[in-house]
Amino acid sequence: MIVDGVLAIWRRELQRDDISIDDDFFSLGGQSVILANIQGAFIEELGVEVPVDQMFLNPTVASISAYIESLGTVTQ
Amino acid sequence: MILQGKRVALPSPPVVHKQFEGHAGATPDAVAVFCAGQQMTYSQLNAQANRFAHFLTARGHGRGTKVGVCLDYSIDMVVAILGTLKAGAAYVPFDPSYPAARLQLLLGQVPDLVLIVASPATAGLVESAVVEVIDLGQLSGHLAGLPVTGPDVPVTGDDVCYAVFTSGSTGMPKVTEVRHEGWFNLLNWLTLEYGLHAGSHNLVVSAFGFDLSQRSLMMPLFCGATQYLMASRNFDAAMAYRMLTQHEIRVVNCASSTLYLLVDWETARGGDALTRLDYMLFGGEPLQVERLTGWARREGNTCTLLHQYGVAECTDVATSYDLADYRPGEHDIAPVGRPAHNTDIHILDERMRGVGAGEYGEICISGTSVGAGYPGGTGPESERFTTVVVDGVPRRLYRTGDRGHVNEAGDLVVAGRMDAQVKVRGMRIDPTDIERALGRLGGVRQAVVVVGHTDSGETELIAFMVPAGDDLAEKDVRTRLLESLPRNMVPARFVNIPRIPLSPHGKADRAALADEFRNQCAGSATTA
Repeated sequence: MIVDGVLAIWRRELQRDDISIDDDFFSLGGQSVILANIQGAFIEELGVEVPVDQMFLNPTVASISAYIESLGTVTQ
Repeated sequence: MILQGKRVALPSPPVVHKQFEGHAGATPDAVAVFCAGQQMTYSQLNAQANRFAHFLTARGHGRGTKVGVCLDYSIDMVVAILGTLKAGAAYVPFDPSYPAARLQLLLGQVPDLVLIVASPATAGLVESAVVEVIDLGQLSGHLAGLPVTGPDVPVTGDDVCYAVFTSGSTGMPKVTEVRHEGWFNLLNWLTLEYGLHAGSHNLVVSAFGFDLSQRSLMMPLFCGATQYLMASRNFDAAMAYRMLTQHEIRVVNCASSTLYLLVDWETARGGDALTRLDYMLFGGEPLQVERLTGWARREGNTCTLLHQYGVAECTDVATSYDLADYRPGEHDIAPVGRPAHNTDIHILDERMRGVGAGEYGEICISGTSVGAGYPGGTGPESERFTTVVVDGVPRRLYRTGDRGHVNEAGDLVVAGRMDAQVKVRGMRIDPTDIERALGRLGGVRQAVVVVGHTDSGETELIAFMVPAGDDLAEKDVRTRLLESLPRNMVPARFVNIPRIPLSPHGKADRAALADEFRNQCAGSATTA
């Protein structure tokens, strides 16, 4: 499941385990450096370049996973 | 202590769009702007900007008026900016990524605002009962019938070309006006000093409302090069790096924190798009030079790093320093170098007298860079604009509120602020502006915002809140603040506190709060 991969990336990059799939990235204290790291991890681990604007529009694990899924290009 | 910039004569009138028009005549088929796979040549852009200028003049807008531009990065944005200048008016950038409530607050601060150019995506954000909002989507048909030659409105170097928002110390953001002569002088200095030319293509990576973005937008058009825009509301490292790889971009202007993101990206993934650049121009916050050294020493790195200093009130950049001259360890802080053409840096004491060589004082700027100030010219902040006599000639001078000195090599070094104002990722921020927003949330009896530093040395905002009742949940406060403040003004951390410690003068004791936060972190194993 893409959502599992995304959640693992978020937990690693935000350095906290208490993240649920409906938590807002920015409410978790997410900032630009972490955002870039997550974007890089999406490219390397999920094989997809997610525009930062989409990460702002979909600031939860659930919603960004749905966006990535909608691209239909992820090989897992 | 005074550092004098080289005196260089400017053409008359020194207006930026005339320089662009010169290129449109000389190299009409060169690409002026590229965004999202679309491009426009100099002659096409000039024609469309002329139509836009006619549209404004036909409505009676011109010298002395301001046109808000609330657009995402796009070719239309550049048309609106150039068209506004050609009509003799000044433009005011409104960043469409800001919450609507913030944009409404900002547009209420701009006198003489007659029109806001928006798009179908942004018009709702700036809906206004007092200012006309024009949707560019509907405008294009209207422009088609207008003349492609310019309305030729006479513009002087003293006319205002743009106004940007800056923080003060009063809790309210305000606009500060920049004059054509200052902007022309800045772009002319950078072009001559660094040999920029028609091949010096530039990628804009900073947010539209930022003062450095105005320079980054106009610099390529000033030297006949191509302006590359990212179709993104937010800084996007992957997109920026991809564009640098795919296009012949030579120059990038950004805040230091953005530079780290780009350098980290290249270092983590390989590639040479950054090391192949001619110039990166950056500044706006204390430089963490150790974050650049490994990358800077890479073999074949041809990119010159220009560490710059300036304030929005004085046309963005006042000094520039080539970091190749910097030997880390030699000084504590990387210098910001020497002044722009026709611009002087003064280091003054609290009684406005020059300090001795090497001594610290307030950094003040005089000369062509000094802007037109805050419209209306009243209020305590306006007193920062004053007059100084240099060689028997009175000159306008701006007191920046920044503290600094001139080192032995004759370069300016910036060492912080004279007051409580702070900078976060290159943006000047007034803590009282955030405290006011916190106070309006309800449930907060008192709030004080202070600056802390992350483990990696980056500046971050910490909000201390005295709750009116139960402790406030961090997530909840942050989410609600995001509805009224730009993201860079929303604190990274929120701390509930029973009362705010006071200094002997009865003011909030910010140093004690910072200590309190360090103690809390030390006592908490779960703090990330």
